[in-house]
Amino acid sequence: MRADMPQNQILEGVRVLTLEQVHALPWGTSFLADLGAQVIRVESSAHLQDRKAGPFPDGRPSQEWWNEGGNLAYFGTRNKQSLCMDVATPQGKEAFLKLAKNCDIVTDNFRPGTMERFGFDHESLAKLNPRIITLSSSAYGYTGPWRRAGSRARTVDATCGMSYLTGYEDGPSYRASNNYMDHSVGNNVAYALLLALYQRNKTGEGMRIDLTMQETGVSAIGPAILETQRGITRSRLGCGHLWKSPHNVFPCRGSDRWIAIAVSTDEEWQRLQKAMDEPLWAADSRFETAQGRWNHRHHLGDLLSEWTQTQDDQELMNHLQSNGVAAGAVLTAEDLVANPHLGERGYIEEFENVNAPQAGPRKYAGRPFRMEGVSFAIRHVAALGEHNVETLRDVAGLSDDEITTLANEGIISTQPLPTETPP
Amino acid sequence: MDILSDIKVLELAHSLSGAFCAKLLADQGANTVKVEPPGWGDPARREPPFINGIPDPDSSTIFLAFNTNKRGITLDIEQPQGRKLLLRLVADTDVLIESYPPGHLESLDLGYQVLRETNAKLVVSSITYFGQTGPYRDYQGGDLVVQALGGFLNAVTGSADRPPMGTTLEQMEITAARNGAIAIMAALLQRRQSGEGQQIDLSTMEAAVSTPSGLIQPYSFTGRSPKRGGSDGNVMDGMHLPTKDGEVTLTTAGTGGRPMEAWSEFLEEPRLLDPKFATRPSRLENWEELHILVAPKLALWNNLDLMHETMARGLVIGLVQNPQQVVDSPHLAERGYFVEIDHPEAGSLKYPSPGFLMDEENPMEGSKAAPTLGEHNSEILGGELGLSAEELGQLRASQII
Repeated sequence: MRADMPQNQILEGVRVLTLEQVHALPWGTSFLADLGAQVIRVESSAHLQDRKAGPFPDGRPSQEWWNEGGNLAYFGTRNKQSLCMDVATPQGKEAFLKLAKNCDIVTDNFRPGTMERFGFDHESLAKLNPRIITLSSSAYGYTGPWRRAGSRARTVDATCGMSYLTGYEDGPSYRASNNYMDHSVGNNVAYALLLALYQRNKTGEGMRIDLTMQETGVSAIGPAILETQRGITRSRLGCGHLWKSPHNVFPCRGSDRWIAIAVSTDEEWQRLQKAMDEPLWAADSRFETAQGRWNHRHHLGDLLSEWTQTQDDQELMNHLQSNGVAAGAVLTAEDLVANPHLGERGYIEEFENVNAPQAGPRKYAGRPFRMEGVSFAIRHVAALGEHNVETLRDVAGLSDDEITTLANEGIISTQPLPTETPP
Repeated sequence: MDILSDIKVLELAHSLSGAFCAKLLADQGANTVKVEPPGWGDPARREPPFINGIPDPDSSTIFLAFNTNKRGITLDIEQPQGRKLLLRLVADTDVLIESYPPGHLESLDLGYQVLRETNAKLVVSSITYFGQTGPYRDYQGGDLVVQALGGFLNAVTGSADRPPMGTTLEQMEITAARNGAIAIMAALLQRRQSGEGQQIDLSTMEAAVSTPSGLIQPYSFTGRSPKRGGSDGNVMDGMHLPTKDGEVTLTTAGTGGRPMEAWSEFLEEPRLLDPKFATRPSRLENWEELHILVAPKLALWNNLDLMHETMARGLVIGLVQNPQQVVDSPHLAERGYFVEIDHPEAGSLKYPSPGFLMDEENPMEGSKAAPTLGEHNSEILGGELGLSAEELGQLRASQII
């Protein structure tokens, strides 16, 4: 940790033991790690997909690829500890249970059944540690006919109803996102765990949490869930709106440059006209009322596009905003890194991973909230197995000899197996 | 469960993000009061569609969905008497959620310093489109504008050769709200240690940027900005394909690295083994031919049968369910996911719960519907603040409530 960084105290002393893969759960536990919890990520040297996921410096993994990925730093082992240990072996299992005995929270995102097979299910862990909070994050939960189904974030966008509602105007349904649901689920994981800790502070009792991706997704489309029960269907509108117009993206100068403009009231429409220097077409009586503008939204969009398409997206946004019109340039990642607003707010952070010096300093999105005296910065990104000794000695209570034996037997390690193929 | 039953929340209602954030707390038992301006109240009350088809301040679906388990009062905080009453409420509140344009509460002499002097233990969460500082702080926002400025529109959904396309139903507001709930819980846990409240500055634009995994760090590592179009021509890993009674999206997951072998066997279509479909790039290149082979086979299946058969073989698919199929889902029914809530205008409806069971219980069991406009004026201002019937009448007459 850098000396000039304030140390977070909020979750100091809270220990989280996590068997996590891919995206949703690692994203969720990273919030607890930011807040100062000791988050021990148990990894297997035989399953290093997350460390293979990159992105790698200039797109090329180096010889020590397993410690240098950008996703690893952004959420994978961000502010966490890494214990690289094969929990499928009897020795690994025994050590895991010793760790769990002295942790507050155990989380996993295996398919339901796997934790039980290992002997790590809630009942088994609660016998060792009655105050334990366990959370399993799965696609469909531990009960119900779909409990054994696997998922990807986008298949959950589908089963929760979100993708059905997504699409260009009058077009077919469309995959809502590649990983929006991973993040929504991760956020929900962090919220549920903080609730459980809050509850335990009051009652002294642990808790079992069965969190699902599908249900988190359904909770994000509540209005459509209510509407369908009264026979109301929600049409696909792309960037359009049920009653606002203009409310869409319009082309700007350059390749694939666009501006979003959102007008709701007559007053805002008048502001837009003023910003356009009152063109004759805009005075058309068909555009006078919100209903008229919506009914003729395609024609209105075509006329507005003629005005926007010769202009620079960001200059146009500033011009429209200075006239009180809601407008936003459709920014790329490159634009965001250079964005003056985010720059002044110190939102984009630069971080240099000491475990991957070859990667040099790289940029990351920050947390979207600020609190006085609390840093949410990336402080450290754990290398594979970096905390093997520290966690087994200080949390599991193993002796140095026992740890050496585990290392000699290959139960713990700090490197991929020799048979592992690089990404 | 009522984990947060010892927490009092005031929501100054102006935005969907603030409303959803307060709902997340209210659904866990927080004693949550929504403070709305007299007249039509929260602007969301005016938002169509209306559950019975008729515009009415108590039946907007978005309002009903985002305001469960709250009590509601009307209060014009721009009038001195209204401001005073708000401060009396603040004195006995743990969390205040607001979404005014930055500086507006200061202009009413209700800025953080004033609130803090009233109640040093108060956690104030300001959720605005662009945050409290920076050159965009006074910009006009909205979900679409934030999807644009947050990098979501350009990169996440939609087709590479078509304009950027939005995600449905104000997801940036929802994402900001989820982050808000995390920050508020952190502040409440911190307050246990310090005894003091906290001010949270949350930006919806920043929530949009941080949400998809692939924006800033992929650009920083590779120099390339991610771009939309990931499902274009992606038959096996992104497109939606018709079934007998709906649509499905396939994946190559669960196939042990041999996706075409597994799917060829399942769909009984040996031509999928053609080498031109063997790798992801070659499948993209020959996607039209692949589509012609796969689509008719999937069209033989009913959604639920397809789900059960693929699940049995460890294949991973996603049924593209419409909201009615979600409501009717046998899986969600067995898990007790939906909670039935009655409302005077909307009647009895199934509402989604938060997405997790705690000790096998749905935390939203026993939930209450969104408040009608000013429903709890007498109960809260009279019963709890102790105003007399006469005083309440006077407040009504001067349109403060």
